[in-house]
Amino acid sequence: MTTTTQPAVRTAGVWKIFEHDGIAVEAVRGVSLRIDRGEFVVLAGPSGSGKTTLLNLVGGLTRPTRGRVWIDEQDITDLPERRLAQLRLERLGFVFQAYNLLPVLTALENAEFSLLLRGVPEAERRRAVTELFTKIGIDGLEDRRPGKLSGGQQQRVAVARAVVGEPALVLADEPTANLDSASSGALLDVMVRLNQELGTTFVFATHDTDLMARARRLIRLVDGAIASDVRQ
Amino acid sequence: MRRFRLLLRLALRNVRRQARRSILTAAAIVVSLILLVFSRSLADGAHEKWIASGVQLGSGHLVLQSPAFQTRRAIAEHLQGADLRAVDSALRDPALAARVTAVTHRIEVAALASSPASALPVAVIGVDPAQEAAFSGMDRRLVEGRYLAAGDRLHAYVGEALARRLRLQLGDRLVLTAQALDSSITEQLVRVAGTFRTGMPEVDQGLVYVPLGTAREWLGLGDGVTSVAVLLRDSWGTDRAVARARTLMADRADRVAALSWREAMPELDAAIRIDDYGDYVFHLILFLIVALAIVNTVLMSVLSRTREFGVVRALGLRKGDSALLVTLETMLLTLVAGVAGVMLGLGLTWLFFRHGLDFTRFMGDQMTAAGGIIDPVFVPQFRGAQVVQSFLFVVAIGFLASLYPAFRATRIDITEAMKFEG
Repeated sequence: MTTTTQPAVRTAGVWKIFEHDGIAVEAVRGVSLRIDRGEFVVLAGPSGSGKTTLLNLVGGLTRPTRGRVWIDEQDITDLPERRLAQLRLERLGFVFQAYNLLPVLTALENAEFSLLLRGVPEAERRRAVTELFTKIGIDGLEDRRPGKLSGGQQQRVAVARAVVGEPALVLADEPTANLDSASSGALLDVMVRLNQELGTTFVFATHDTDLMARARRLIRLVDGAIASDVRQ
Repeated sequence: MRRFRLLLRLALRNVRRQARRSILTAAAIVVSLILLVFSRSLADGAHEKWIASGVQLGSGHLVLQSPAFQTRRAIAEHLQGADLRAVDSALRDPALAARVTAVTHRIEVAALASSPASALPVAVIGVDPAQEAAFSGMDRRLVEGRYLAAGDRLHAYVGEALARRLRLQLGDRLVLTAQALDSSITEQLVRVAGTFRTGMPEVDQGLVYVPLGTAREWLGLGDGVTSVAVLLRDSWGTDRAVARARTLMADRADRVAALSWREAMPELDAAIRIDDYGDYVFHLILFLIVALAIVNTVLMSVLSRTREFGVVRALGLRKGDSALLVTLETMLLTLVAGVAGVMLGLGLTWLFFRHGLDFTRFMGDQMTAAGGIIDPVFVPQFRGAQVVQSFLFVVAIGFLASLYPAFRATRIDITEAMKFEG
C-alpha cells in the first residue's frame, strides 16, 4: 500500500444545515477532517448521523453552510458549478448504494464514462477498462447492459467506473447495502486490492460491520459530529 | 466533440429505450405534419389557381406601366416610343423570358357605353386579339358570336351581362365615349362581334374589348399602350421576375414601373393573405397542441430519470450537458418524426388527392373573390420551399418544446436525485 502524507481531502469546521418546513436541521456540525492519499476510511454511525451528507460535502455534490472543503489541497467550497463538475470528473470517483449504472450503456461503456468525458482516446479507454475488469473479476461482461448483470456484478462495474480514471478519492455510500454477504465480501476484496495495488483512496459511508472491520481508519459520527476517529 | 458524441449516443439510446413514449410523441408529430403538408399543398394549389384567374383577367403576374398609371388610371400616363420598345426588349432578356408564358399590350380606359336602350359606365380594353387570347383565354369564354380577330377594326367583344343590360344583340352598334389624350371627349362607334362570360359579375357587367389599333386611333395614343401585362409560369417566381424587370428598366425608372400582381392587385393580395393567416392560425393551434404533447412527454421522461441525471452530474457531466442531452433526445425524435411526417404527408396527399378535392357541393360551380375565380376543385401543389418550411417549422417546435424540460434537467439537485425512486 502506498501511504503519503499529502491529504486527498480536508475539511475545516464544516457545517451543513438543511431547512425542513422552516426548521433548521444540522446534518453535519463543525467537522474538521483530513484524509490522506491511499487511506481506506470508513465513516460509520447510525442513520441520520450525517455520514452521507459528509460524503456529499467532500464529493462536492452539495455545498457547506459554513466551513471549508479541500480536495487535493484545492479549496472547492466556493468553486463555480462548472469547475466543480470538472473536478468531480478528474479527481473523484463515486460508488452508490443502488449501483446507478446507466441502463442504456453496456458495462464497458458505463465503466469508461468518465474517461470518455475526459477525452481519453478510445484504445486507451478500452485497454484501461478491460484490464480493470480482469482485475476485479468481471471480464467477459463488457458488452452486457446493467439489466443483464447481477447486483454484485453491477456494483463491480460501478467500482470500475469510479476507479478507472485514477481519481484522488473514491467516495462510496453504502456500496454493499444491496448485496448478499458473498457478493459483499467479494466486492470488499476488490476494493481492498485496488487500494493496495493502485493506492486508490477510499472513503465509505456504511453500516456494514464487515466493511468497518476491514477499514484501516474508522470515523464514527454521532449527530453530525465526529465522535471517534480510530486507526486500526 | 467526444462529449457531444457521448451525449448523442445516450440520447439515441434513451429515445429507443422509451420506445412507447417515443412512438406516441413521434406519432403526434407525424400526424400533424401530414395535416400541415396536406393543408399547405392544398391551399397553395387553390391560391395558385385563384391568382392565375385574377392575373389573367387583371394585371398579369408582372405589369409594366407608367409609374402614375396605377393610381391615376388616366391614359395620359401611358408608355410609348422608346420606353415601350425598351419594355419589349427587356421582356426578351433570357433570365426574364425563361419565366414568361404570355405578354399582352393593353390600353385601359374608363368610358361610357351607349346603346339605343341605355348608357352605362364601362372599362374598355384595347387589345391585340391574339396576344390577349394567349394571355387571358378570353376567346374560350365566348358565349355568342365570335372573339376579336386580326384585322378587326370596329368590333367589340362585350361582357354578356353588359350586353343584356344595354339590350345589345350581335351586330348591334354601340357608342363608346371617353376622354382622349388631348383631353377632348371623343366617341367611337363599334359593333358587337361577340359576348363573353367569365363568371365574375364586375367583369361580365362592365368590360368591353376592342382592337388595340381602334383604341389607339380613338384616343389619339399613337403607338402607345397603358400597360404591358406579363404572365409567368407560376406566381412563386414573381418577385424574382419583378426584380429582374426593375434592374433592366433601371435607367427608365421615372417613366416605367414594374409592378408585381401583389402591388397591381392589392385586393387579391389581401384576400390571399387573409386566407393564409387563417391557415396559419389553424397550424399554430395544431402545433401548440403538439408542442404541449412533446413538452409533456419529454418532461415526464426527464422527471422519471431524475436519478440518472443526478448520477451523470455526479460523474462530472455539466448542467449544460444535461440540458443538451434533453434537447438532443427531443431533436432526434423530432427530426425522425419530421422526415417521416413530410414523406407521409407528400405521399398520402399525392396518393389520394393528386386529382384534387372537389368542394362543388359546398361552393357551387365557382366562387369569385377579390378579382379572381376560386375553383371549387382544389388540386394540391407541392413546392420544395413549402416542404422545407413545414419541416423546419416542426424542428423549431421540437426545439422550443425541449427548452423547458432541458431547463428542468439543469435544476436537478444531485443529492436529492440520489434519493429518487422513479
